[in-house]
Amino acid sequence: MIQVTNITKIVTTGNGSLQILQPISFTVTEGQSVAIVGASGSGKSTLLGLLAGLDTVTEGSIKLDGASLETMDEEARAQIRGQKVGFIFQAFMLVPSLTALENVMLPAEINGSNNPKALAKDALEKVGLAHRASHYPNQLSGGEQQRVAIARAFITQPKILFADEPTGNLDADNSLKVEQLLFDLNQQAGTTLVLVTHDNELAQRCERQLIMSAGQLSEISAQAATERAS
Amino acid sequence: MGFSLAWRLFKHEARRGELSIILSAIILSVAAVLSLSLFSERLQGALNERSAEFIAADRQLSSRKPIEIEWLEQAKNQNLDVAEQVSTRSMVFANEQLQLVDLRAVSQTYPLKGSIKLSAEPFAIGESIVEVPSMHEAWLDSRLFQVLNINIGDEIEIGDAVFTATRVLSEIPDAGFSVFNTDPMVLINLDALAKTNVTGPGSRVNYKAYFVGTDDALDTFYSNIKSEFQREYHRWLSVDDDESPIGESVARAEQFFLLASLLAIVLACVAIGVAAQRYAQRHFDPVAIMKTLGASTSTIRKVYLYQIIFIALLGIVLGTVIGFLVQQVVVSALAGTVDVSLQVWYWRPLIIAIFTGSICALLFCLYPLLGLFAIPPLRVLRRDMASTLKTRGGQYATSGLAIFGLMYAYSQNFKVSAIMFISGLILVVLLLGATYGLIALGRVLGQGRMSAAQLAWARIKRRALDNSVQLISFALTLMLLLIVLVMRNDIVKQWQEQLPEGTANYFMINVTDAQKDDLAQHFAQNAVLSDDLYPVTRGRFAKINDIVLRSEVTKENEDSTNERRAGMGREANLTWGTELQQANEIVAGEWHDAWSHENSELGEGIYPVSVEVEAAKRMGIAMGDVLSFNIGSEIVNVQVTSLRQVNWQTMQPNFFFVLHPDAMARFTPTYITSFFLPEERKPELAQLLRPFPNVTLFDVDARINQIRSIIDQVSAAVEFILVLVLVAGALVLIAQVQASMDERQRELAILRTLGAQGGLIRRSVIYEFLIIGSVAGFMAALANEVSLYLLQSQVFQMTTSIHFEYWIVAPLTGAIVVGLLGAVSCRALLQLNTSTLLRKVL
Repeated sequence: MIQVTNITKIVTTGNGSLQILQPISFTVTEGQSVAIVGASGSGKSTLLGLLAGLDTVTEGSIKLDGASLETMDEEARAQIRGQKVGFIFQAFMLVPSLTALENVMLPAEINGSNNPKALAKDALEKVGLAHRASHYPNQLSGGEQQRVAIARAFITQPKILFADEPTGNLDADNSLKVEQLLFDLNQQAGTTLVLVTHDNELAQRCERQLIMSAGQLSEISAQAATERAS
Repeated sequence: MGFSLAWRLFKHEARRGELSIILSAIILSVAAVLSLSLFSERLQGALNERSAEFIAADRQLSSRKPIEIEWLEQAKNQNLDVAEQVSTRSMVFANEQLQLVDLRAVSQTYPLKGSIKLSAEPFAIGESIVEVPSMHEAWLDSRLFQVLNINIGDEIEIGDAVFTATRVLSEIPDAGFSVFNTDPMVLINLDALAKTNVTGPGSRVNYKAYFVGTDDALDTFYSNIKSEFQREYHRWLSVDDDESPIGESVARAEQFFLLASLLAIVLACVAIGVAAQRYAQRHFDPVAIMKTLGASTSTIRKVYLYQIIFIALLGIVLGTVIGFLVQQVVVSALAGTVDVSLQVWYWRPLIIAIFTGSICALLFCLYPLLGLFAIPPLRVLRRDMASTLKTRGGQYATSGLAIFGLMYAYSQNFKVSAIMFISGLILVVLLLGATYGLIALGRVLGQGRMSAAQLAWARIKRRALDNSVQLISFALTLMLLLIVLVMRNDIVKQWQEQLPEGTANYFMINVTDAQKDDLAQHFAQNAVLSDDLYPVTRGRFAKINDIVLRSEVTKENEDSTNERRAGMGREANLTWGTELQQANEIVAGEWHDAWSHENSELGEGIYPVSVEVEAAKRMGIAMGDVLSFNIGSEIVNVQVTSLRQVNWQTMQPNFFFVLHPDAMARFTPTYITSFFLPEERKPELAQLLRPFPNVTLFDVDARINQIRSIIDQVSAAVEFILVLVLVAGALVLIAQVQASMDERQRELAILRTLGAQGGLIRRSVIYEFLIIGSVAGFMAALANEVSLYLLQSQVFQMTTSIHFEYWIVAPLTGAIVVGLLGAVSCRALLQLNTSTLLRKVL
């Protein structure tokens, strides 16, 4: 589903160029759930941005469901995202001036789906927020906002779901609820999940764990992962 | 998808008040431009109507030979109203006495604008009537009843015809405005003129045709007949050509309105620019989200272009309604003072307002929107990522061009637009320099323990570029307000100086040398304040440097539409003295008070003369020229030793030629003087003048009141425009402060969370705004001087001066107003509890 071959990312700063990612290669198969863990500043979010086609690699290639992102322009990548990708962010990233329902509808509308409203209602129902459909994001709690974001992520039935610290802004209670919901829906839909997190427990729930350190990525064995979690 | 999403966003954002700033900026610009230009258009219409009374029509054709019948026919066929007047100087005979008069024969339709005023007895207050003399009637100037010693009902002879003096003629609309050289007027019917036989060969006759109609019809008519005009005979006059004090006041007022409206447009642009920037910044996240979710650039473009169109449409509609209402309310409120009709509707202001609204909205939103479209989707992960659109140069160039384009489109006056634009540019450059200077200063000051002042400096320093943009917009707003305020003060002041209370409203001529002292004494006894007595002798202007003058030089003598030039002809009024009159200024050479025979460098028998500079120009007289006048049978030779600039707008005797007294020692002059008599003492006039039967009196009271009422109206209107622009400016300042508070919210929230006391935060914000406000005010005062100098000297033809008081007032006001607005916005923020504040911004 995702095939990463020798990608690097170099950015130019005021003090010269800086290599954020060393050559990285890995593959994620369809339906697999992968957690990318690592310290702050290790390059996790950069990698996620590249995988999702939000940013471009300096070298190497990324194939997303067969489509080579590095050969595509911004427009084509946007199209791929619209068709195949769902997102969940740490800061929820809901459009403040749209209601919960309209936020959920947004990807379906962009995608040109039929009857986005019905789909959105259905999705909100699944995350248990049908009764808050007409509320604006600032009228919802953090946990509720993230549940709306999850409903939005699943509405287009994406093949791949990228999640960036999905529980990073939530308290323990809400974290658990959101986590549960995310994995339940993921399982139901058979979506490929790539999530970036600090949270080892959350990472543990994924089938595979990759660790980023100083721009280098390595796979953690199941045993090592359990040790990390404990 | 674009449309429905845009509509939804628009609907929600409007409902939640998120569009209030950009919407109010558009509403403000449309309302200000509409109300200002609609009001000024209506006022100009009313003033033009008043001015039209001074030429008794919308257009006047003046000719020294009979006006072609075909032209008049053509005018009538083009639905123009037409009237005629034939005037000449002629003798009137009555009571065994002869008197030279200004004979005016008018057609049945005269006057087309204004009215003839008659009074019941000589020197009484006149009342309008709508008729002209019948075939046997003559309406006579008050002076004639006095000079010829006749009464109403007596017969007078003009040429070969006999008329009955049935009424006292108080005023006709296009009488002109000269006190000197005009003979008392007699009005008869045009059809009665032929029987007098006074317009035969050799007589100097002036023919006038008057036209009234729509501007288009008048212009078409003029362009049709123009080619047939003979330059030496025909002269076409419109209200704009009115060079009288009224004409100039109205013209200056019109320029002021134009300026104020231009400034309103610039204010509107600044407001929309600020609001659009803020609008775009608020939408960085939604755009990044939509891009992440797969929206194409074209979808996003559509969504936001539709949004801007919705906002602009709503703003234009609301702005139009509000602007119209404001203007309606103000016109109704001013109804007593200003003669403006509410019935007339002008399309131009509406079109300009809509044009301004849409152009401002689209052009000023364009660059912020381009920035918005270029927001990278990666912002969803990296919140600090801003637009990838790098250069601000494009934004400045677009904004600058848009402002200049609007100013030019509106004013059609390149000079005014360029002056305003260049002053603005100078200000921007000054401010950029100042901001960076401040930042450098802040670096020195901003060290040490954290205090409110330090927080303020730290913020100014950190947000250098944003602050410079903010500073520029504050300063521009303040500068525009200053320009309007100072221009209004200067204009109204100069108007008031022109006709101060107690301005002479009567003139007396033919006061003899023997009567001089008696007259002064008599007036003093009656508590009437009279002006100095000026000696006058009529001389025939014969030669310039021994070249005999041709008659062409003298033709202006007959031109009663331009009376200030009267006396320029062959018959000149000569006065003499060594004291320079008030409102006279030597512009070349030296005033001749120190001249004497002993130290004379002039030739034998040649005396110094001072000539009015414009008259000298027209007649080709230069410094050092020797002029010869025939006075009686004698010749007086004078050499031009100085040129004077004369303020003709003062109502006092002014002269083209002022000689040295020695030149005139052998002649017996008569004297001219003026005095002021309040309206309620008018009945005393006859008694006042009884001891001096030979003295001729001119009543200019009606004229002065006419001018004063127009000036009052225009001043009231100017006042209103000032208030309107000030309100617009205040709103723009509020919008700017709000926009910048918005950017400060996040920081305030963090400070608050970290436990900073409300007082510290509030003080730091107030300090910051005080610093920005005072710097903006000072810069505005500097730029204001530059633009005022250019405007007053190049456009308004006014005397210029430096306004030092505003160098203190502007920074103070800037600091107080901006500081206060900052404090109020900050207070509103600090009233929220910290978690609400955090949720609001994070």
